[in-house]
Amino acid sequence: MGKLVQSNPTERWNPMLETLKYEMSRRLRGTTILTVGLGLYVAFIVWYFSLLEPSAFEEVLQSLPPAMSDAFGMQAIGTIEGFLGGQIYTFVWLLALGIYFAYTAAGLIATDIESDRMDLLLSFPVARSRLLTEKFAALLLPIVALNVGVGVATYGLVLSIGETIDPTHLALAHLLSIPYLLVCAAIGLVLSVLVDRAAVAERAAIGLIFLLWLVESAVGAAEDFAWIQNISPTHYYSPTPVLIDGSYELLDSGILLAACLALLVVSQVLFQRRDI
Amino acid sequence: MPTIEVNDLTKDYGSVRAVDSLSFTVESGEVFGFLGPNGAGKTTTIRSLLGLLKPTAGTATVLGADVHDEDALIDAKRRIGYLPAHLGFDEEATGTDVLDYHESVKGGSRRDELLEIFTPPVERPIREYSTGNRRMLGIVQAFMHDPELVIMDEPTSGLDPLKQEEFNEFVRSERERGKTLFFSSHVLSEVRRVCDRVGILRGGELVGLEDVDTLLQQGGKRVQIRTTDEASGDFAELDGVIDMQTFADGIQFIYTGEYNTLLGELATHDVREIEISEPPLEDIFMHYYGKAGAVESDREVESDA
Repeated sequence: MGKLVQSNPTERWNPMLETLKYEMSRRLRGTTILTVGLGLYVAFIVWYFSLLEPSAFEEVLQSLPPAMSDAFGMQAIGTIEGFLGGQIYTFVWLLALGIYFAYTAAGLIATDIESDRMDLLLSFPVARSRLLTEKFAALLLPIVALNVGVGVATYGLVLSIGETIDPTHLALAHLLSIPYLLVCAAIGLVLSVLVDRAAVAERAAIGLIFLLWLVESAVGAAEDFAWIQNISPTHYYSPTPVLIDGSYELLDSGILLAACLALLVVSQVLFQRRDI
Repeated sequence: MPTIEVNDLTKDYGSVRAVDSLSFTVESGEVFGFLGPNGAGKTTTIRSLLGLLKPTAGTATVLGADVHDEDALIDAKRRIGYLPAHLGFDEEATGTDVLDYHESVKGGSRRDELLEIFTPPVERPIREYSTGNRRMLGIVQAFMHDPELVIMDEPTSGLDPLKQEEFNEFVRSERERGKTLFFSSHVLSEVRRVCDRVGILRGGELVGLEDVDTLLQQGGKRVQIRTTDEASGDFAELDGVIDMQTFADGIQFIYTGEYNTLLGELATHDVREIEISEPPLEDIFMHYYGKAGAVESDREVESDA
């Protein structure tokens, strides 16, 4: 860019993050709906918790196969932390939102190429790498907004039924989900630049995240194959222990962020090389 | 320095060679028509010029920037407008949203002026747009930052005849302002109205590069007539009659000779119906480059879609 200013001092257009702003503005409505929707779901779960007798939880736990209660983190189901961890964080945050962001990212590039919108975007005086980075970074809006919005709502709802939850633990559970959701989105992004058809990229993203989650849940019991868990991003984010006693591994988040960066580099290389 | 310079450009898709060793230049300030039937490689060439496709061999420069050099091409793109053949917009966004975004990235000093000529309903979401409205929005975004060079792929497809005429008028005024315009078309009549020079592409190869006047002279007219008598023999003997075809209810041929001679001959027959029209592009090829070429020009190249 510096080169241009030198060669043409009258040039005033120096776009900065315009694509990021535009893409975020396009995501505002969906983000609001999703945040409100999840907030209502949390309200339902919290209300449901307030109705249950403590002895009922033990029965629920007994009736579940051990693999299932492990998969959904239900050991501490009798406390509000454990209940939220099992009903909201393990299921919604880990699985549903992981799939949602992988799916959304899988559409980022593939949809634009399929609809020929990419032709116009690449006629802009903007590098492919920057376009890709800004489009991906726009996903931070829903990721952050969901965590802040639903996190605050959850805290308020828990207090409203006369229970207490450590606000630091709750905030931490949300904060640590961000690297995890970014990895899911980055997996989708790689598929988005790799596959020609948007529908294929999106379906592959859903399938892959589900498969990785399944691998971690199913292999957890088998010692010999425990290493396979390591390839699943779900292995590096465990919301229930964070909620219960605030325990977490900072290294896990570091691994997730590194994986996200590596996947972004891969998608940049693929996008740079491909014909549109 | 030419505005566009293409040197031995080749794009191979494995099974199909979409563009084969193409070379031509477009000078500053001219309106250059890139003519060819569907599948000739026009879109592939245009997309290579914009860096969307990487050429298999050869190169091209646009406003001095090599298409292989992303940084140089990005700088050049500030001074380039592009109107693709297929316009993809955010369906949920309004025209205003899209133009705001485009303006923020590349500038929009002429936006209001253009919206007086081309009138898409900018306050409505794009999913409600007709083909013509999409096209007009595309034209506005292509010219709004007052670029030096505008590259257009089939710019008038989908426009109603009135808007097409306004567009042609606009193209002529842009040429007077010193802009360079490069556009592809498969419609000769469109090209002849506005272009200075025409490159003809067939099967990925450049088969002609002509002043538009020369092309039209040699292109001739298509004559279809229905007479009460047997006329095909008489007309076939006229100078400049080629590709005579006889149908059950009349004859058709391409006429490149003197009009008076044709009219004289017509007067000796009992003509029931007549149509003299611009020949389709395929027929120009037939005249211009021989029958074999015309057949080949019908070949579809999938990747050009």
